[in-house]
Amino acid sequence: MLDFDGTRKARQRDVAIAGAVLLASLILFFLPPAFQAPIRTALRNSVLKPFLMAQEQIATRRARSVDVSELRAQRDSLSALVAAQATLAEENRKLRELNGLRARSGTEFRPAEVLRVGVPGAESTFFINIGSAEGVRVNAPVLAPTGLLGRVIVVDEHMSQVMDWTHPEFRASAMTAEGEAYGLVEARRGRFREEDLLALTGAPFHLDIQPGRPVVTSGRGGIYPRGIPLGTVIGIEEADTGWRKSYLLRPAARPDGASHVLVGMTGASVDHSRLFGMGVADSTRRVVAGSASDSARANAARRASPSSPARDSARTDTTTAGAR
Amino acid sequence: MPASRNRAFWVFIAIVVIAHFVLHLAIGAKENAPDLLTVAVLLSARRTRGSVAALIGFFLGILNDGLSPTAFGADAITLTIVGFLGARSRDLFEGESMLFVAGYLFLGKWLHDVIYFLLPKTEVRGELMQQLLIQAPLAALYAAGAGIFALLLYRASTGER
Repeated sequence: MLDFDGTRKARQRDVAIAGAVLLASLILFFLPPAFQAPIRTALRNSVLKPFLMAQEQIATRRARSVDVSELRAQRDSLSALVAAQATLAEENRKLRELNGLRARSGTEFRPAEVLRVGVPGAESTFFINIGSAEGVRVNAPVLAPTGLLGRVIVVDEHMSQVMDWTHPEFRASAMTAEGEAYGLVEARRGRFREEDLLALTGAPFHLDIQPGRPVVTSGRGGIYPRGIPLGTVIGIEEADTGWRKSYLLRPAARPDGASHVLVGMTGASVDHSRLFGMGVADSTRRVVAGSASDSARANAARRASPSSPARDSARTDTTTAGAR
Repeated sequence: MPASRNRAFWVFIAIVVIAHFVLHLAIGAKENAPDLLTVAVLLSARRTRGSVAALIGFFLGILNDGLSPTAFGADAITLTIVGFLGARSRDLFEGESMLFVAGYLFLGKWLHDVIYFLLPKTEVRGELMQQLLIQAPLAALYAAGAGIFALLLYRASTGER
């Protein structure tokens, strides 16, 4: 039989140590994101690295197993397209030179493979196999061939973490392709990932946006370039009496199906509307130039949507308590 | 417990932890794979003091949180609590039968999910109550099944009863 006092002391010490460990975990949980980031980076680059590298290897092998004949067909189609457009591009360059115009700023993307992890807290994120060594920067837009997937939130040397549009913190400054209505696009989460939708919030009350109308990034938030498809209007979600309307959107690209993505390298000042064939109205192009009237309209949109930030979600390594 | 058997048990726990990260990180199986990390903490908690179990939970939780951009530390808190309570459960329940261990793993994993989803900053898809009363018990059942399977393999290979 153990001495009662000795047992009690041992138990008290046990509880005290466990309490200290719990306190340490609570401190870690409530640390500002800036202090948490180095710890996460250290874990990713040490203990977790072999597992992430293994997934990268698996993804690379899976990509290599794509049917070669399909790739050849795609290459031939692209070669024909490039050959046909080469003359036009040259003609355009000469005409711009004759008119004393500078060359149009180009768009630059880097392809990347998608790596997914199944740990709690990383549900609406995925990893890509390129990082700062390849020129990726925080907040770089991540695109699928059909539209926007999300943005880079953490950059390591050869790997980056991307927040996709299903994340509760996702926001993108948006407009209808014709430029008649501006607002913010945010996620509307369903019971399952497949049910996730987007919503255009803060749209003017007096406008009726018809179902099927495409919604693209407006280029105003300073994160996403203009003209990237976000989705098409399904219908009205909510009409706030006399102030604003929200519309549900069918997303242009779904993150769960993406195995390869494109990472934008040129910043938010470029215009991607032609790239996606959106045919954004010329009158809206002045928006990106940042005229005074546009700023005023952006402020109006911001006031119209008090519950959400008017800019694209730009926080990196963020935490938001009230996500639920 | 002989030292060799003790060593074998900790090797088994290490294998369970590695299997968890292989399934969730290297293969990216998400919810299709069971939560073996909680299983590892719960099984080791039955053989250690509360403080040691809490420490094991803390370190394994930190590892799991390494890829969570918004809720870093949530799994560390959860597994610390689960580890400590798992160790203390010996005061209330004795037994090593498979049925008992299955129930223990089921309740432990359910408790893990309840604590995790009640913490701020963690993402909940759909209704919280639905998550806690339907999704969490199913995940707990899956984890308990996987834990029992792993334990059967361990007992078969070491001859431990």
